[in-house]
Amino acid sequence: MEIKEKIIDAAIEIFSTMVMMDVSVSEEGVNDSGRLQDTITGLIGLAGTHKGVLAIHIPHPVALAITSNFLGIDISEINEDVEDAVGELANMLGGNVKTVLTENGRDIDLSLPSTISGSSYHFQPSKDVEKVVVRFETAHGPFLIELQLEK
Amino acid sequence: MGKNVLLVDDSSTMRKIIGRSLRQAGIEFDNIFEAGDGLEALAILEKEKVDIVLSDINMPNMDGISFLREKSNRDNMKDIPVLMISTETGDDIIGEAKSLGAVGSIKKPFTPDKVNEVLGPLL
Repeated sequence: MEIKEKIIDAAIEIFSTMVMMDVSVSEEGVNDSGRLQDTITGLIGLAGTHKGVLAIHIPHPVALAITSNFLGIDISEINEDVEDAVGELANMLGGNVKTVLTENGRDIDLSLPSTISGSSYHFQPSKDVEKVVVRFETAHGPFLIELQLEK
Repeated sequence: MGKNVLLVDDSSTMRKIIGRSLRQAGIEFDNIFEAGDGLEALAILEKEKVDIVLSDINMPNMDGISFLREKSNRDNMKDIPVLMISTETGDDIIGEAKSLGAVGSIKKPFTPDKVNEVLGPLL
């Protein structure tokens, strides 16, 4: 399965089963995450036979809605709960991507998830990479999933 | 006497989700203990009565595989069953977990039905 399709399938499964939120792939194609405004990024590193990073970029209002659904309580500010929830989304997405890139689970290691949050930033952890960026839509707004793999 | 479960995951969100999935699956425990890594889990197992452990694999300080290895060396807890709940699905890693005593595994993401299907027969 092409990795972009796997990312799409994984995101839809994760959001429908764990977040209880419908997501769909945007008709608006994107090639780059660009400058991220008022966004939180959850990321997980891949090391081994494939090196790179998997990131999910979520605008703050969408992240609040996702975390509220995830936890079943109203969340009104970007706090540790939001960081933890977004990190866990990255972790689950990274695990799914890993299954596409490796058969036995031992030749790629995943880092622990981490998050970045800010009012304006550009996400470019490495220069010479192949990028897959998918834009998703929710009832609360869009978010991006980005995979960067070293060439 | 009711049963107690220990949830081991570095994500507090995931611990809450697992707890919610247990309730949605109709699986009731008297006590739900929580640990953020293998070291915290061992400390809880030293002092609390726990009937089953649900553990992640990738965690800081002590991961799920090291936790299983250490637990298997302690007579007072080596027979407590551990079910892995992880994004890890590779045969090598799950196989190693089972060789160290894990009784099964659930892949994240999961549904309450899946939790019930795997965990139910173990209780």
